[in-house]
Amino acid sequence: MVQFLVKRFIGLIFVVVGVTFITFILGLNAPGDPIRDMLGEHFNPIIYAQLRHAYGLDLPWYQQYWNFLVNMFHLNFGYSFKYQNRTVMSILAGGVPVSAELALWALILQIIIGVPMGIFSALKANTWIDTVNMGVILIIYSIPVFVLAVFFQVFIVWFDQHTGASWPVSNWGTPWAYSPADLSYKIVPIVVFALGGIAYIARLSRASMLEVLRQDYVRTARAKGLRERAVIYRHALRNALIPLLTVVGLLLGLLVTGAFFIENIFNIPGIGYETIQSINDRDYPVIQATVVLLAVGVVIGNMLADIFYSLADPRIKAQ
Amino acid sequence: MDTKDKNTDLSSGIISPGSSASPMEIVELTRPAGDVETVEPPGVVEEGKSQPKKSLTPFQESLRRLWRDKRAVASIGVIVFFILLALVGPPIYQHIGGPYNSPTNGVIGPSKYHSYAWQELSNQDQFISGMYWLGTDDLGRDMLARLMQGVLISLTVAVLVEIVDIVLGVLVGVLAGYYGGWIDQVLARVTDIVFAFPGLLFVILLTGIFGTQADVVFSKIPLIGPNGNARLLLVSIALAFVAWPLMARFVRGQTLQLKEQQFVEAARTAGTSDTQIILRHIIPNLFSIVIVASTLDISNTIIGEAGISLLGLGVQPPGSSIGLMIVQGQAMIDSNPWEVLLPSFVLAIIVLAFSFLGDGLNDAFNPRSKD
Repeated sequence: MVQFLVKRFIGLIFVVVGVTFITFILGLNAPGDPIRDMLGEHFNPIIYAQLRHAYGLDLPWYQQYWNFLVNMFHLNFGYSFKYQNRTVMSILAGGVPVSAELALWALILQIIIGVPMGIFSALKANTWIDTVNMGVILIIYSIPVFVLAVFFQVFIVWFDQHTGASWPVSNWGTPWAYSPADLSYKIVPIVVFALGGIAYIARLSRASMLEVLRQDYVRTARAKGLRERAVIYRHALRNALIPLLTVVGLLLGLLVTGAFFIENIFNIPGIGYETIQSINDRDYPVIQATVVLLAVGVVIGNMLADIFYSLADPRIKAQ
Repeated sequence: MDTKDKNTDLSSGIISPGSSASPMEIVELTRPAGDVETVEPPGVVEEGKSQPKKSLTPFQESLRRLWRDKRAVASIGVIVFFILLALVGPPIYQHIGGPYNSPTNGVIGPSKYHSYAWQELSNQDQFISGMYWLGTDDLGRDMLARLMQGVLISLTVAVLVEIVDIVLGVLVGVLAGYYGGWIDQVLARVTDIVFAFPGLLFVILLTGIFGTQADVVFSKIPLIGPNGNARLLLVSIALAFVAWPLMARFVRGQTLQLKEQQFVEAARTAGTSDTQIILRHIIPNLFSIVIVASTLDISNTIIGEAGISLLGLGVQPPGSSIGLMIVQGQAMIDSNPWEVLLPSFVLAIIVLAFSFLGDGLNDAFNPRSKD
């Protein structure tokens, strides 16, 4: 186990360094001179040199990268180019709780809806219920999240116009508050955000359950006369859920990229929205920081999934 | 791309990109499954052998299976329709319709008001009519013309990305699978990073940082440069960069299995050089896995391009892209929901068609991978 963890951890470091290196090199080679842009008409060689020094841009690239890495471990991503007195972290601090809230609820919905749907479909395998269920799921799974979001928005606008209701189609309300007004903002984006993952989990849990139902131990359990319910809940279901642990990492990836679209379509002030804003402002430190934060989050999620998996299924460690 | 990862259920021989286990471990895990899915070498078995009349090559059998799959055939129909629409639609459409006396622009013909960038400000937000077959948007631009241009952009990016994806993926995958060694190690590390890093995030980063520069540099290239399309090349490069490692991993897995097959051993015993074995015996047998993986990746690519354009990082106005149409139509959602529904529906249909075709191809060419 220790050996496995060490190996995974080394892999993690490698990936994190790779991701930060790519991000850093891209930022370093960004076109234009941000400091010169910042000064604009008030260009003055002395202030220019001072600013370059303040941002650490006068150092050779490897020293810049080293500082970037060291500061990153202290969660310090330097100062924004656009708002010179604000740190990148203070800019991101507004978006992180919102994005985290959105992702957390979506993840919960995905698990509590997706898994039962898939298991149910597997138990009814090859009946019309299964066919219809999986057909709908395949369509939801294939359609991009921003198209689903648009469909929902059009429906709500239509609903509002015909009933006189005023259900909002943008904005977020107060983070982590759940008054009726807040909920009216939050429910639709969270549901849309969760849909793709629900479909994904449902497909996986159906396949996993079908696989388990074919196993010898399920046949044995049936042969020794256990009630069907005991066979399914005690013998099959538990084993069917194990492989689902590995998809947490993938789900995180889905949530991270989905957040860009959901937040921009519904005008939710989360990290994805802020990243696009900073791209429009050409505020490279902020772009770099969000990418690194999100990627590292996904990598750590992947590693946790691997560890859970090896705890749940001891055979993996032997590999 | 990672908006949806469709390649995870390709076949038993293929591993979900989600697990960050290194390829070496994956081979160990999948070997039992790999035995089930034995590879039929089409050309080799049949060659020079007089078969009974009615027997088909495995390839023909696969085609017959594909042909019987109604959903896949319908998808092929839809895809062919959109390809034709994008290629021959605009020139035909620009010759249909009489002259129009515009209050602002004088008398203009259909070659003007049926082109995707023409703003006819006297005809804003019109619904379907004889003059504008699918209506106009908030700037008086013809929706059908914009849609056809958008589909063309989607398909162009898909073709560009798949060319790079297939060439790089097959090259690296075959070398890594056949020779192992340092190429294999490098591939394993690169795929680790790419799988850990949400692909779209990289594309957003690349287009976000270099977008304005691409506008300047690439706009001088004829055809793909002007009309706000300059960033497409950048988007394609970025999408291809995150797509090829997955293809390489699939190809590597298949190559590892093929390498152990008897016909390869026979060829080696007969003194065939490595290059010849790879070209004659390995690569032709990769056909099915490459065609399935690349078809499924096309829908990811199309979603990726539309998404990037939707975020304002891809095609720039006055150009047209499905994603750009969605975001522009979204502003008119209260008064004219049609303007956002049309591109959304078309995108959904195209993406579904490629997904269904990919699934159909997978069932037809890897029949044993079905549960």
